[in-house]
Amino acid sequence: MSSRRSRSRQSASSGISDDQIIELVSRLQQLLPELRHRRSDKVSASKVLQETCNYIRSLHREVDDLSERLSELLATSDTAQAAIIRNLLM
Amino acid sequence: MTASRREIITSSSSPPLRTRFALRFLKNLMKIKKSTPLGHSSSLPSSSSLEIRRRTQLIKLAAYSSMARAVGSRRVWSRALILKLSAGKRIGHRSSISLSARSSLRCLGMKRKRSKTVTKRFAAKKRQLEGPCPGVVELQRLVPGGESMDLCGLLEETAHFVQCLETQVRVMRSIADQLP
Repeated sequence: MSSRRSRSRQSASSGISDDQIIELVSRLQQLLPELRHRRSDKVSASKVLQETCNYIRSLHREVDDLSERLSELLATSDTAQAAIIRNLLM
Repeated sequence: MTASRREIITSSSSPPLRTRFALRFLKNLMKIKKSTPLGHSSSLPSSSSLEIRRRTQLIKLAAYSSMARAVGSRRVWSRALILKLSAGKRIGHRSSISLSARSSLRCLGMKRKRSKTVTKRFAAKKRQLEGPCPGVVELQRLVPGGESMDLCGLLEETAHFVQCLETQVRVMRSIADQLP
């Protein structure tokens, strides 16, 4: 444990160990649908960050589309049906 | 149905995130549905499309605020998002709803064309200060509250943020599939 601490103190700017960052990046890679099945030593960290940004943006776009769909549905559907779903969860 | 509800209440851990989010989001949807007048929609097609667009913004805000509140103050990004959304709502009481909605949604990294030059200048300054890959700056912009985090914390928050966004999309899609 102390050897890791001294190694991290010697590392460039921050006091965080490289192993920690590598582990976090590989954890993030597992969440991404594109890079999930590729080996973590074949994917660079900057690629993971780039794919994460793209994925977050695409998720925002999906939320936009779904909100629009829900808005149109709310206009046309019955109030009773939405209340039924709510009661199902309660 | 009541037996499963009793299970949820008496279990040691609180209900899963998607349940907490779904409950809040549905309550907000009902509120939105009741507060918007539907009588005009049949008469003028132009006003109904405007109403639909306004309601879309309200629903989007409700989705992000429900998710942030379901996570609570356990995460940096949820705390930052709750603060930003409530600040936007406070502005909304004085001016129009669309203005506050736009300013709140801008915090999520969904910028409009006007603010691009400002963010480019700020991003360039940050790059000079930080040094490493520009992907970090981009990620800090996308994750709420990311500007104040170091790389380690940012990566952790991003992982949780992505999982919650996926849950949000999944619940919204299932609601949209079930409604008609």
